[in-house]
Amino acid sequence: MTEEMNNDVVYLAEGEASTEKLSFFETVFKGLCKFGSWFGFGSKYYRSNKRRKKIFFDVITYVVLIAVAFIMIYPFWWMLAASFAGNQTSMMEMAWWPTYTAAEEKGSLFGNYADVFSLASNGTGTNFWQATGITLIYSLVPVTVGIITSTMAAFAFAKLNFKGRNVMFFYCLAAVMIPGPSLMIAQYCIYASIGWTQNGLALIIPGCFGAIMTAFFIRQYLYSMPTAILEAAKIDGAGYWRIFWTFVIPLAMPAITAQFILSFIGCWNNYLGPLFFVTNKAWSPLALLVAQFPDIVSNNPSHYAVSMAVSVLALLPVLILFAIFQKWILGSIMLTGSKE
Amino acid sequence: MQEQAIPAEDAAAESETAAVAVTPKKRRINRAVLSENLWGWFFISFLVLGTTVFIYISFILSVWLSFVDYRGNTTFWEALGRGNPNGAFYWYKYMFSETITNQVGLEVTGGWGYFGSSLLNTVFYLIGIPVGMALSMLFAALMSRDIKGAGTFRVIYYIPTVSSIVSITILWQNLFANDGVMSQLFGTNFIGGDEWMQKLTVLLLTTWKGLGGSVLLLCAGMNGVNESHKEAASIDGANAWTIYWRISLPQLWPTIFYCIVTSFIGGMQIFTEPELIFGNVVTDGAAYQGVTAFVGIIYGYFNGQQWYSYASAMGIILMIIILLLTLVQFWLNRKQEA
Repeated sequence: MTEEMNNDVVYLAEGEASTEKLSFFETVFKGLCKFGSWFGFGSKYYRSNKRRKKIFFDVITYVVLIAVAFIMIYPFWWMLAASFAGNQTSMMEMAWWPTYTAAEEKGSLFGNYADVFSLASNGTGTNFWQATGITLIYSLVPVTVGIITSTMAAFAFAKLNFKGRNVMFFYCLAAVMIPGPSLMIAQYCIYASIGWTQNGLALIIPGCFGAIMTAFFIRQYLYSMPTAILEAAKIDGAGYWRIFWTFVIPLAMPAITAQFILSFIGCWNNYLGPLFFVTNKAWSPLALLVAQFPDIVSNNPSHYAVSMAVSVLALLPVLILFAIFQKWILGSIMLTGSKE
Repeated sequence: MQEQAIPAEDAAAESETAAVAVTPKKRRINRAVLSENLWGWFFISFLVLGTTVFIYISFILSVWLSFVDYRGNTTFWEALGRGNPNGAFYWYKYMFSETITNQVGLEVTGGWGYFGSSLLNTVFYLIGIPVGMALSMLFAALMSRDIKGAGTFRVIYYIPTVSSIVSITILWQNLFANDGVMSQLFGTNFIGGDEWMQKLTVLLLTTWKGLGGSVLLLCAGMNGVNESHKEAASIDGANAWTIYWRISLPQLWPTIFYCIVTSFIGGMQIFTEPELIFGNVVTDGAAYQGVTAFVGIIYGYFNGQQWYSYASAMGIILMIIILLLTLVQFWLNRKQEA
C-alpha cells in the first residue's frame, strides 16, 4: 500500500510518536486518527492511503445510491403488490406482499385485473380497452404527424437559407414562454365552438402542426450534420423534398426516434389536456379513466386494489417503452442539458 | 410580436416577390434562391401556422376573454363582442379583492380568498425545488465518481419522471393514506393529517418525481467538466471537496441554472398532484383551501362555475408571475456572474 503514499501529508513513524508522553485527549485523538487511517484518511500520526480512501468513499457512494434507488423503486413495487391484494384492510397495511391476495378472494391472482376489464364500463361511458384505444389514437396520430412537421421545420431552420429564417425562428421560440394553462381556457372556448371537444379532435389536430421544442432539438442535431452531403445531393439534381426524405430523415433518425418516444410518453401521460378539452365521455383517454377509477369502483370491496391494478396497466406501456429505449431517451435528454 | 403573425403562405408569397425584385442583378442564381426561399417557407409553414393559431392567436383571445364576461351562456364569439358589463378590468379587480361591487351595485365576495391561498400553496410547493436541486447535485456528484453501474442508477432514478402522473398520484393516495404503509411507518397521518402534513405529502411526491430529471442533466453537466482542470487542481494539492466547489461547480452552474429555471416554470403550473390526492377548493368546498394549487383554482372556476373569463384572467396572471419569476432568476444570475 505504500506505493500510493501521499507525499504532502506529514508523516510520523508510529514508534517515534509512542515514545512521547501523551495526554488523555491526545491519546483519544490518536485513536481517532488510527480509526481514520483504516479508511485511508491521513493525519499527524498516520499516512493517508488513496486506495483505502477510494474504497471507503465507493462504499458510501453505493450505500447512498442504492438506498435512494430503493426509494425510487419501492412505490412501484408496492403498487404492483397492492394490485394483487384481496380486500382493502390487508392491502393497506402490507409492506411487501399482501397477506390476503386476490387469489384467495377472487380465485385468481389477476382477479383485480379482471375486475378492471369488466367494471370500467359503468359511470364513464367508456371501458378500459376503449380508453386504451383512444389513448393510442391521441398519442400516435399527433406525434407521428407532428414529428414529421417538426423535422421539416428543423431542416429548414438548420440547413436552408431563406429570407426571414431567423425572425421566424425566434417567433416560434418565443411562443414557448407562454405557459399552457394560460391558453387553455380560450383554446377550450374555440374548440367547443367548432365541436372539437366532442370528438377528440382538440387533442389530435394541434399536435399535428409540430412541437416547437421538438423542432428546436432536431435543429440542434441537424446543425452537427455535415452540409456537404446535402450540397452533393443538390448538385446531383435532388430537390429539397427528396433531400428531406432520403437524407435528412435517415440521418437524423436517432434524434427523431428519441423525440418520438418522448412525445409519445408525454401524450400517453397527458392529463391536463384531456381534462380540459374532452367533454364527451366516450372520448376520454386512459389518464382520465385512471383518475376517475377510485370513484367508479368505490362499491367494489377491494376497490383500492382495483385502482392500483388499473394504475399498473396505464403505467406498463410507458415503462416497457422506457426500458427498451432508455439509452436513446436519456442520451437525448443529457444532450439537451449540455447544449444549454 | 403581433406584426409577425402573418400566415405562412402570404409570407412565402412576400419572400417570392422579394426574390423577384433582385432579378436584374443576379439573374443566374435567381432561380436557386427563389426555390430555396419557397421551400424554406414551405418546410416551416406547418410549425409557424400551428404556433400562430394555437399559441399566439389563442393568447390574444385569452387576453380578450379576460376582459369580457363569458360564462358559457352564449356563444364564445358573441361574448367576445359584448364586453364586460362590470367594466373591462372587473375580473382582475375581483381576483385581488375580498369584496367587490358589481354592476347592479351589489357587494359580492371577491376572489382573493381562494386566489391568495392557492398562490401561497403553490409557493409552498416550490420549496421542493431547492431541496431537489441539492439532493440531485449530491447524487450526480456520487454518480460521477468512477464506479460501476452509474448508468443503471440513472435509469432507475428516471423511472418516476417518465411515469404517468395520474398513476403515480393514485399510488401516492394509497401509499400515504391514513392506514397506508407510509403513515404506519412514520406513525403519523399524511393525507388525513393537518394542512401541513397534506402539503408535505404533495411536496414529497413532486420531489420524488422530479429528482430523476435534474440528476440526469447534472450528470451530463458533470461529464462536461474539464478533466484536465480537475487534474491540475489535484496536482496542486486540492482535495476532492475543493475540486468540487472550485472547479466542478462553476463549470456546472449553467446546467444548474437551467434546471432551476425550468423547475420553477413547471412548479408554478403544479396541478395534478394536489387535485387528485385531495380535491378542488372551488368545486369541492373550502376544506381544500390549504392544498389546492393555482392551476387548480383556474380549473375549478373553469369546470365548476364555468366562469371562463375569470379563469382566463387568472391564466394571464399565472403567465405574468412565471415571466417575472424567470426574469428575476436571470437578473440574479447576471449578478452572480459579474
